[in-house]
Amino acid sequence: MINFHPDKQMLELHAQGQLPLSLSIALSAHIEYCGQCQQQCQQLTKALSVEAFSDNSAPAQQEQALLDDLLSNMLSDIDDLPLDTGINLPSSVTVTVKEKQYALPQVFRQQMLSEWQGIGKVSRARLDTGEGKARASLLYIDADGEIPQHTHKGTELTLLLAGEFSDEFSDYKPGDLMVMTAEDKHSPKTKQGCLCYTVVDAPLYFTKGLSKILNPIGELIY
Amino acid sequence: MQINSTKTSQQGYDNVNHNQTRDVMKTNSDKDNNEQLALYMSAVANYQDKRAFAKLFAYFSPKINAFGHQRLNQQGLALDLVQETLTRVWTKAHLYNPDKAAVTTWVFTIMRNQCFDMLRKVQHNREDSFGDDIWQLFDSDNAQEDDNDFMLSASLLKHVDALPPLQKQVVRGIYLQELTQQELAEKLHIPIGTVKSRLRLGLEKLKSYMEQAL
Repeated sequence: MINFHPDKQMLELHAQGQLPLSLSIALSAHIEYCGQCQQQCQQLTKALSVEAFSDNSAPAQQEQALLDDLLSNMLSDIDDLPLDTGINLPSSVTVTVKEKQYALPQVFRQQMLSEWQGIGKVSRARLDTGEGKARASLLYIDADGEIPQHTHKGTELTLLLAGEFSDEFSDYKPGDLMVMTAEDKHSPKTKQGCLCYTVVDAPLYFTKGLSKILNPIGELIY
Repeated sequence: MQINSTKTSQQGYDNVNHNQTRDVMKTNSDKDNNEQLALYMSAVANYQDKRAFAKLFAYFSPKINAFGHQRLNQQGLALDLVQETLTRVWTKAHLYNPDKAAVTTWVFTIMRNQCFDMLRKVQHNREDSFGDDIWQLFDSDNAQEDDNDFMLSASLLKHVDALPPLQKQVVRGIYLQELTQQELAEKLHIPIGTVKSRLRLGLEKLKSYMEQAL
């Protein structure tokens, strides 16, 4: 049972195609786990399609002329277009970290992962999403691992893909999606180990006394 | 511009017009509208009917153009969006499943995905196409049934599981976990020669299973 979902606004922006790639990946993956959000997203998409296609007014003459040209060009080339076979890229995608293999949601199938890097029980592989500010990664924490208490300068999104973890607030299961802001402090720990997808839009700042020395790890982890 | 149409598609298409005296552009009822669009879609899907495609183009192109203006902010890009979207309507028409979504919803999905990829190109100078990975079109069920490689891997995996345990362990280690022979030998605490011989036996057995299946 998934307990943590994206809020309505986020789901709506997702259905509109208005979220950046890093967040769109998170929403798409969550939806693969969560029938409830999948259904909501389908309804939103339907409503958006009605909205987008409801205006039946004829375009200005100049626009219509451009569209007419486009149609005749398309019709003359269209016979040469190969029809889509419907055979897509690999339909399953897996990742291996510390000799454990995990199946990932479909949305990851074309995403390029950098090499795994890590300190102790924490490993991270970054995705190349090409976005300046936001950093998207897969984060793996070994059994009995934890991340020192930290706040976030910006916003941090975590989607649990496999395993479990808990923090001061709750226990989390695969499919749970959490968004934490600058005010939230937490120190996640895991008993069995876990694989997460994370997006942060600024470096993490660790707040707990001793682990201040670990501050540079924030850069590495995310 | 001469539009060609096959005999069969001509018939199917004329039925549409005889039964529906009102043109799709003038129809007020959403239900009639969707039915009309679905008939055009099936003419494109089954007969590559260009006249039906021209009807779909007439209905959707001004709307996609307006959407593109709003999102992409450039006349040239809006027209690109019209072309990219409607090209996909043509090449994917046979994958459209009317039981899963209305034509308008399906076209919207294609348009939104395409627009997402175009925006990335504009904003991040990235030539990637992730839109269809993020929002699967409504055709993935059919796609898997047609995917022979997928079926082949499924039956191959079944045969791997039928191998004797020691051979299975080695075949899975090399081909599924993608370990090197050396890594696998260390992991199983056996000499590398044993890995090689079990692998050879396992692969020979797999080959004979697959030949029997064909």
